[in-house]
Amino acid sequence: MKRKDFVLQLIGEISSYILEEDPMRMVISLHQETDGLHLCIIDDNEHSDAEIEKMTKALNSRKRPELAGYYGAMTGQDLLGSSRLNLLGWQLKHADVTRTGSGIKIDLWLGGDGFDSQKFTIPEKE
Amino acid sequence: MTNINMNKKDTLLIVIIVFLVSLILAGFAESGVEESLRGFLMLQIHPARLINDFVEISGVGGAFLNASLVGFTGLILIRMAGIQLSGPTYAAILTMAGFGLFGKTPINILPIVFGVYLSARLVNKQFKDYLIIALFGTALGPLISTLAWELGLPLIPALLVALAGGVATGFFLPSIAFSMLHLHQGYNLYNMGLTCGFFGLFASALIKGLGHTYSTNMFWYSGSSIVLTAFVPVFSLLLIIAGIFSGGKHSFKDLKEILTIPGRLPSDFVDLGSLAGSLINSGLIGLFGSIYIYIIDAPFNGPVIGGLLTIMGFGAFGTHIKNSWPVVTGVIAATLVTGNPLNSPGPVLAAIFSTTLSPLAGEFGIFPGILAGFIHLHMVLQTGAWHGGMNLYNNGFAGGLTAALIVSVIQWYRTNKEEF
Repeated sequence: MKRKDFVLQLIGEISSYILEEDPMRMVISLHQETDGLHLCIIDDNEHSDAEIEKMTKALNSRKRPELAGYYGAMTGQDLLGSSRLNLLGWQLKHADVTRTGSGIKIDLWLGGDGFDSQKFTIPEKE
Repeated sequence: MTNINMNKKDTLLIVIIVFLVSLILAGFAESGVEESLRGFLMLQIHPARLINDFVEISGVGGAFLNASLVGFTGLILIRMAGIQLSGPTYAAILTMAGFGLFGKTPINILPIVFGVYLSARLVNKQFKDYLIIALFGTALGPLISTLAWELGLPLIPALLVALAGGVATGFFLPSIAFSMLHLHQGYNLYNMGLTCGFFGLFASALIKGLGHTYSTNMFWYSGSSIVLTAFVPVFSLLLIIAGIFSGGKHSFKDLKEILTIPGRLPSDFVDLGSLAGSLINSGLIGLFGSIYIYIIDAPFNGPVIGGLLTIMGFGAFGTHIKNSWPVVTGVIAATLVTGNPLNSPGPVLAAIFSTTLSPLAGEFGIFPGILAGFIHLHMVLQTGAWHGGMNLYNNGFAGGLTAALIVSVIQWYRTNKEEF
């Protein structure tokens, strides 16, 4: 898949999730490197701790190549039903969901096998 | 099962191995070893298009041995790909084994798997990325059997044509599978049924165009035996017990959580719920399905047992009692309205396999679910002829078309209705 199409799918799914709660503000920021990218999405909606925990869990779900390689094609393409963060989670290197003053910030890091985390501000794994 | 250190992967592996070995033992117990082996060999060179009930053709022993070896083939492929067992792989193995009772053989599925592998390599993917497509893509096994045994070619050319046809089939499946997913947006659980049906239209037309006429023999076992009648209910009970043992006091809470999931593809209940809840759900589906078959007085033959095993497999990957009853109700209503007996082959299989449309009821409610089931029956009674019975997941094909219709209407309404 071309990188542009892949990025569009990711942005489609994550923004669909954010827009379901009808925010007044949504900001999407993309930083690309040769072997990876960092996508940041910010909104201004209230989110409960339980929701943030659920999002973090879905976005950091274990890698499922057999599902990502097939059903991952639906990422960001669906017009019906609720958006599904686990479709993203199977394809990510890492994800963080943190509170901002008025809403949340979602950081997504993606990359191929040659992904160099040094080029990104990806948190160190404990 | 009671070892508390045993993880999900090990538990599922044990459940699957116990199931596949039980198939062999049950078959041997019914038919004896020698007759089972003879029956198994006979199936490898027999036409496999819908409906060829292997129990009728080779006896219980041969059919069960074949089903088990088809299931083991799936398990070996999963292990070779390095993929952990979970909801979709559990569903795939039970489905493959189930269809090993009426269409799949170890020989007619392997060329397709190899074709999918080649397709993956062409686009620099690994086989594990397309593993699910390869496992469920074996629905077109009868196409390979048709090329090998029904065209009347001499042995060597027949085998070469079948091999080439199978590899070509597998090669094209991934590309079609992705498009079909978008068509129904994950509301048809058997997406490979729609994919294989679509491909089957072309394959069938090509074979017909070359002058072949399909014979319309149907093999449908209508006798009974204790092994056939008891296999699914006993296996279902074992699954429920395994679920309760592995999940302890949380088992039924986990099941309750699973019942809240709409089931749209891909819903891995083992991940979204738990293994314990998935096993209990799978067992309950098998029990309810068996009770339905018993009530309508349908035979427990190859296709019916295969169907029950399939929906039990999907009890870990999208189907549960709550999202499936409306669809089954729709099929029953349509059957009664059209005056067909509930226990005739088409309606009985439609009632079982219509659960492919469960996500529609899970997401949009009871009425769309019943409507989907009602439409589904009418479709599935026609679609088999379109692909010459070469797509074993005929209900997945009809279900995909039905889901696409319903999803299109709902999508049109929701996206065009003025909101501002």
